Amino acid sequence: MGTIRIRFILVALIVGFFAIGMSAFLNFFKYKSTYGTIVRERVLVVGRGIENAVQASLNVGLQFSELGTLQQLMVREMRADKLIVGMDIFDPAGQVIYSTDPERVKREVSNGWMQAAQRSKTTEWNVEEGGDVVAGISLKNNFDLTVGFLAMRYSKSYLDVAAQGVGREIFIAALAAFAVLFVVTPLALVFVIRRFERDLQVLETAVSHLEDGSVPPPATGSAFDGAIASLRESLGGIKGELDDVRRKLDAAR
Amino acid sequence: MIARLLLVLAALVVFAQPSEAQVRSKPLRIYAITFRGMTDVEKGFQDYFASRKIPVEITFRDLNRDASRMPGFIEEIRRTRPDLIYTWGTSVTLGVVGPYDAPDREKYINDIPVVFTLVASPVMAKIVADLKTPDRNVTGVFHVAPTEAQMRAMASYRPFKSIGVLYTPTEQNSVVIVDELRAAGKKMGFTVLAKPLHLDAQKKVTIDGAPQMVRDLKNQKADWLYLPPDSFLGTQAKAVVIPAAMEAGLPTFASTEQLMETGALSGLVSRYHSIGQFTAYKVEQILLNRIPAAKVPVETLTRFSLQVNLATAEALKLPPPLPMYNYAEFLGVDPAKAQ
Amino acid sequence: MLDKNYLWRIYWQLAGVIMASVVLALGVVSYFSHHVFDRELVPETEKKAITVGASLRALVLKATDYGTDFTQLYGVEQSFDEVFSENPEFASIAITDTAGKVLYARGKEPEAIRQHFAKPDVLSVLATPDVPRDAVRIGTQYVVSLPIVSPAKALGVLHIGIDSAFVDKVLLEVLLDVVVVLVVSLFFTLELLNFMAGARLASGLGEFTKQVERMRGGDFTPSGRMRVNDEIGRLLRWIDAAIDHINVRYEALAGELRNRIAESNPDARDKLKPAAKAMEAIRVSKKFGTGEVAPKTEETDLNRIRAPLFAFILAEELTRSYLPGYVNQLLVPIPGISPQVVIGLPIMLFMLIVALGQPYLGGWSERVGRRSAMLTGAVVATIGFIGTALAYNLYDLLLWRSLCALGYGMVFVASQGYVLDRTDTGNRAQGFALFIGAIMVATVCGPSIGGILADNIGFRPSFGVSAAMAFLSIVAIVRLPKEELRGPSMAPTRAPKLSEFISLMTNSRFMTLTGLAAMPAKILLTGVCFYLVPLYIVSIGNTQAMAGRMLMVYAIMMVLVVPFAATLSDASLKRERYVALGLIISGLGGFLMLFSESFLVLFAVVFLLGLGQALSIAAQSALVGEHCQEEIQKYGADAVYGVYRFLERLGNALGPLLASVLVVFWGYIGAFVALSGLAFFCGLAFAISMRFGPIHHQPPGATPEAPNL
Repeated sequence: MGTIRIRFILVALIVGFFAIGMSAFLNFFKYKSTYGTIVRERVLVVGRGIENAVQASLNVGLQFSELGTLQQLMVREMRADKLIVGMDIFDPAGQVIYSTDPERVKREVSNGWMQAAQRSKTTEWNVEEGGDVVAGISLKNNFDLTVGFLAMRYSKSYLDVAAQGVGREIFIAALAAFAVLFVVTPLALVFVIRRFERDLQVLETAVSHLEDGSVPPPATGSAFDGAIASLRESLGGIKGELDDVRRKLDAAR
Repeated sequence: MIARLLLVLAALVVFAQPSEAQVRSKPLRIYAITFRGMTDVEKGFQDYFASRKIPVEITFRDLNRDASRMPGFIEEIRRTRPDLIYTWGTSVTLGVVGPYDAPDREKYINDIPVVFTLVASPVMAKIVADLKTPDRNVTGVFHVAPTEAQMRAMASYRPFKSIGVLYTPTEQNSVVIVDELRAAGKKMGFTVLAKPLHLDAQKKVTIDGAPQMVRDLKNQKADWLYLPPDSFLGTQAKAVVIPAAMEAGLPTFASTEQLMETGALSGLVSRYHSIGQFTAYKVEQILLNRIPAAKVPVETLTRFSLQVNLATAEALKLPPPLPMYNYAEFLGVDPAKAQ
Repeated sequence: MLDKNYLWRIYWQLAGVIMASVVLALGVVSYFSHHVFDRELVPETEKKAITVGASLRALVLKATDYGTDFTQLYGVEQSFDEVFSENPEFASIAITDTAGKVLYARGKEPEAIRQHFAKPDVLSVLATPDVPRDAVRIGTQYVVSLPIVSPAKALGVLHIGIDSAFVDKVLLEVLLDVVVVLVVSLFFTLELLNFMAGARLASGLGEFTKQVERMRGGDFTPSGRMRVNDEIGRLLRWIDAAIDHINVRYEALAGELRNRIAESNPDARDKLKPAAKAMEAIRVSKKFGTGEVAPKTEETDLNRIRAPLFAFILAEELTRSYLPGYVNQLLVPIPGISPQVVIGLPIMLFMLIVALGQPYLGGWSERVGRRSAMLTGAVVATIGFIGTALAYNLYDLLLWRSLCALGYGMVFVASQGYVLDRTDTGNRAQGFALFIGAIMVATVCGPSIGGILADNIGFRPSFGVSAAMAFLSIVAIVRLPKEELRGPSMAPTRAPKLSEFISLMTNSRFMTLTGLAAMPAKILLTGVCFYLVPLYIVSIGNTQAMAGRMLMVYAIMMVLVVPFAATLSDASLKRERYVALGLIISGLGGFLMLFSESFLVLFAVVFLLGLGQALSIAAQSALVGEHCQEEIQKYGADAVYGVYRFLERLGNALGPLLASVLVVFWGYIGAFVALSGLAFFCGLAFAISMRFGPIHHQPPGATPEAPNL
């Protein structure tokens, strides 16, 4: 009794591998996205402070391009949180107007930023491009015209380091779970398989004794009882008939 | 007819060769008529074009509250044929385009796009029949925040169950607003105590008795005194209504920037500068994006300024709620502190 | 008694045990994950709390700057509420004065927190405001404390409590996906049991049962088969041996009888009469010998199609929930066509190629051989998937998707042919059940897993997974038996001729069935499931995984209801009712969208759609045979069914097109309602036309026919 049992156990292990793998995968990515969200929300809190300042200035009639104190404010906010690498404010055409890094002013931001900003259904957006992770806020004026975008760049390695560590641990957990499965499932399966195998064994024993005319085995309650009885009956029947012929032949002698 | 043909031609040209606003060499010629001299609206109007690098050539004319000057302006418009006319306020606008159901259209400008600004209720004034599609050569910007938005702003300062209103019964505009208030009250669950100002023997409205009305409102448990965009009330707010309310300890909520300047506690108003920018945006849509004025909706700002007079707040012992410090604009403080 | 049911019982027991241990293992993973999440997420959330606290503090300082007294602030709780709504993991916020007395507080406070506020250690932040403090665990919360200090003097302390249970919530959100994984695992288990162990077992036990039945009926001809060397094989060999012995004995007796009759005199012959009579009786009632052993195919061969088919269909099904989203990303504006329609284009093209290719691919796969045809198809599709994953923009995407479609058509038709070749009228239905089963399971597993993949690893890598699945199917196809089998009775299949198309399409009886039932059902299916659901779900801010779950609901409905409905409608012989009812039910769902736009309603829509389709799908094609007897006699079943299938698949292609155009004009909700309305009214019209129209009942005489999904 081997091949069937091994096959069943193999199925269990494959399914277990799939399920555990998927669940580890899900947990890992959930971690990654939750962690990313927490960090992004933190960056956005800082961003909203700046948005408020811009909004207040626009409200009192200052032009978007002449917000003199904005750059200092951005630098101050950036220094307050080590996570933030830099901040830029760019206009709807993609040109940087203010930046914590003076070299970036007048440069064009990447297309990916523009797309992310335009595709977002709210005023907040985010994008991951190259080595930059960016959380952004669209700045709108009093009649809902987007006058510019605030982009906060923060450290990707900060996110990666956390993800790697957790990824490793979840991987180990998944291995442990698989180990549990490896031990438990064959044991549990054996119970079910044994009944099946017993049924088959009873059948085999019964069938192997079909011809020696031994007493019928007692009904075991297995699913095959009926079949065995039927087999015995048909074999017995034909044997009886052949025996009858034999007898008659002998009698004719 | 010719103008319309020209417009079609112009549209064809634009269609064939989409021109960028910025590269336009010939400045847009705008003829602007103000009501009482230059305001922040005109500044916002010009700032917008400057920031978008759109060259404009604006001819300013001031009515100076004198309707007799209007025919001269009309004549000048017919002679110089500007690209567009800018009109400030209801009287100027009506003087240029007339009500939509006016019998003699000859008196008015019908063939040059007109963009109005600072009209409190364009439908009421019969400037346009429908805000979404003006359906004539006129569009523009109105400046009063929707009544419901004002009520919500008021409630976010201090929740209320009942508001008092003083209004001029002879001003159609004010009567309508009182109706709107009642409707909003039904929806949001507050009562409206509306008191019309007295009329004198000549059936002219008078401010006499207003202080008593304010006291009555306080006694009737009004939580706020609402100041509608009422022309007569506006002239009397600073001298009579606000002092009476302060005396009675009744907070006042203003519907316009002028009323805020009279010392009301708080108000949801349109900044003139923003209104001017929005008006310029409409001009851009008509002249550069070639959308006929008849199809440009009449709108107001989507975000208003919530203003608070801190001195009034202190006197009434009603400090603004904490979240408001994030977005409100405080009057009566030195600007250094405000930043 | 002893039949496939027995085996299924065993399978279910096995699956139960496997599921139980998988759940256990998942529990282990979740436990560890929770531990890690707790350790890693809490400090990060504390950092966020500090930033949020700092902005709240700035607000308070701004208010006091304007002259408001720190103890007289108004609406502080409102600000706290705003913080709660933006940061659901924060449970409590409080501001105390410099002595630790609470001035403003909101949220659910743990018991000992007020004492904590007054502790000198906590208040010491006021003395050194620049030194950051670690969070302190009080009861169920981690409390972060920030000093509020104006340039003039210390004012008080701000405390934010983070709910320690927020990590549980995060993991709970994963749970929904884990449940999906479990359901998929269950189907995988059954599929794998069937594939790895079951195929042989099933055929072995089937063989055994047949043998028993044969013997009971008196048939003792030996099977003449090779027996596999496993448990069942041994069993069958025992029986074979017994039968052989009987045969030998019979032959021996018969020979002896013959000899003795030949040798003996008439007197002795008389004596032999009883024996001869008995022998004759046996000869008449029983069958012996070796002569009639037909070289029957092993049922195992049939079963072997299941694995490659499953893997291949799965590759395509994986993409269902996110393909529109991917197209959206690669969109290039095509002048004159709305982007909505462009998004539907690749799906439409796919369906169109499958529809157009079907009639010709059948004959082709016969010529080149089923196995080679499948192999070609799988290779073509694999290339298509790889290309899709690397697509540059919409235009080359269309090319890659066409390859996928071509491959899909090839594999589908060839494997259908494979089943046809290996079955006869007796077991054809069973063969197709197998075929459908593999597709169904793939439909359940594919979209849900695909959605999860797309959400987490992105669109392109997900197509990579599809490519890998398609490649796996190549490997499985290679292992299929090389020899081709053709039933001698079968005429080569042919594509319907144009003249047949025309005369059938102008035949009102045929078109009532096709135009009012089959096509609207397919339009609704592809329009809603493959186009609207994935796009709408994402447009209301939900995920591709949610779209996948929706499609899974549909598939599960099909799996659960189809066999049931098929039996019922066959038994009742009132198939028209099932078709009409199915259409009406599937159309009803869309109207729900008028009441609410929530995604929960969408579940109901998909549920009803699945239920409706499941009710009618089996009855539909049977009705063709039932009602179009005349046409079948005139043009042949191949032609009638060919045209029917073609039009049905055309409906598949029309669905996304129609849906996208509707979205342009009426928005998503409008499109849902309009498509559903179409199915609903077609259902009504069908019901009416059955009563009064060209269709009238004829005695059933349908032959089993290839299924369509």
